Amino acid sequence: METLKSNQKLTQSPLFKFLILEFICMVLMIADKNNQLAQPIRNTLSLAVLPLIKIIEWPQDIYQITQLAVSRQANLIQENNQLKEQLLDAELKVQQNVSLAAENLRLRTMLSATQNSPLTTSVAFVSNINQTQNKQHVVIDQGRADGLFVGQAVLNLAGVIGQVDVLGHNFAHVILVTDTTHAIPIEILRTGMRTIAYGNGEKIWLKEIPTSGDIQVGDVLVTSGFGNRFPRGLKLAEVKSLAVSPNRTFKTAVASPFAELDRLTEVFLIWPHKIKQNDINNPTTTSVINPSALIDFDFEEQAQDNSQLQKNNQQADSETTNTDDTYNNVESNELTPEANE
Amino acid sequence: MSKQHNQNNLLMHLSILFAILLTLFPWPDTMAMFQPHWAALMIAYWSLYAANTRVMFVAFAYGLILDVLMGSLLGKHGMSLVALSFLVNKSAKKLRMTSFWQLLMMVLVWLFNDIVIRAVIDWISYRYQPKWYDLLPLLTAALVWPWLKYLMDRIQTTMRNS
Repeated sequence: METLKSNQKLTQSPLFKFLILEFICMVLMIADKNNQLAQPIRNTLSLAVLPLIKIIEWPQDIYQITQLAVSRQANLIQENNQLKEQLLDAELKVQQNVSLAAENLRLRTMLSATQNSPLTTSVAFVSNINQTQNKQHVVIDQGRADGLFVGQAVLNLAGVIGQVDVLGHNFAHVILVTDTTHAIPIEILRTGMRTIAYGNGEKIWLKEIPTSGDIQVGDVLVTSGFGNRFPRGLKLAEVKSLAVSPNRTFKTAVASPFAELDRLTEVFLIWPHKIKQNDINNPTTTSVINPSALIDFDFEEQAQDNSQLQKNNQQADSETTNTDDTYNNVESNELTPEANE
Repeated sequence: MSKQHNQNNLLMHLSILFAILLTLFPWPDTMAMFQPHWAALMIAYWSLYAANTRVMFVAFAYGLILDVLMGSLLGKHGMSLVALSFLVNKSAKKLRMTSFWQLLMMVLVWLFNDIVIRAVIDWISYRYQPKWYDLLPLLTAALVWPWLKYLMDRIQTTMRNS
């Protein structure tokens, strides 16, 4: 009897509760979609959710620790030697780059071109939790507390991976460049032609190349820096095949990303120089790199007009021209192994 | 009586949390495609068993948690799970009397409804085009549901008897 009575009240009826809850959901979705109004709620909930993620990650952590404990000393020594060799290699390249960066700077001042400001980066690890969403998301172990923001560029050593899509307090969802809802402004390294690269679910898809545009299989795509989300000159993908759009108005191309998106372990997050104060929060994981020395430089020059470079080089002394030749060699050396990959 | 009530409550939360953990577990890709919506199955079971509108609020809360975990629009899973819970609740007393096959068909209908709601929200928010393999989880759900129901019934009986 008592239940009957309570059901008769309007506010107690199941339909009323149902409608109220659905209404709340609707309001939340609209707030979340439009202007991030629901971000505080998401932050609070993501704190509550953290134990669940930790439980899933825990067995894998244990596995890695035991693997380390059980692995033979000989293997470790071998791995150590390999890493030392790699480090030597990398240091050599950096040494070459220092002089090249200085030269680049000089040429840029001659051309009165804009300077590339140094970027702030930080390393995050990819969590292995499963995603049932229809979007291609990966979860990384840094979030709002580490100063991340929505739309932040994410890359790994091989190339661009994507951008931060959804922020939690201690974790974030990164949308991959191959997702169908993702687009990224790019330029073709060989010709400097700019276009937009869309994801098509598996690969990267260029669908708006003019029919007269110069593009070949094997062309490298780098970010063009338009839209201010991705800094200029980050490697993205290599063109694998060409076609013509069904109504024959555009050329299309399919490119495969350099980064192996299905087996990511660690990623780099990039802060543009304006928001540098954010990295004060976690000084342990951040470091300042100069993109013109490390990433940007490799591609910037080739995209530029070669004849202009030559003209400028004539003004400079012969030593500079020599370095320029070395630079070209380094460039080709660096590009080939990646093309083979 | 109240002790048993508390125990049931605890069991409900534990089972739903376990369902969410199953969802988060890094399955291989092919298995992930066939994976049923565990949390929805659990919510359906508890709405059916408890026949109480309280489950709707539980569904709402766990829906939001799923949203945060999956990085989806806040309220997407909440909406579909609340709708599921409401539909089950409405006819729970009748359904507990029906035959095994009828109940199974109803469960599939609810889960299909759940998938449709989420697909519509995705379509509105970013023009998602539904794929045929979005329906594959229904297949596995049909296989899993009888065992899940049996298992949960057994757990409840043992808890009541002890």
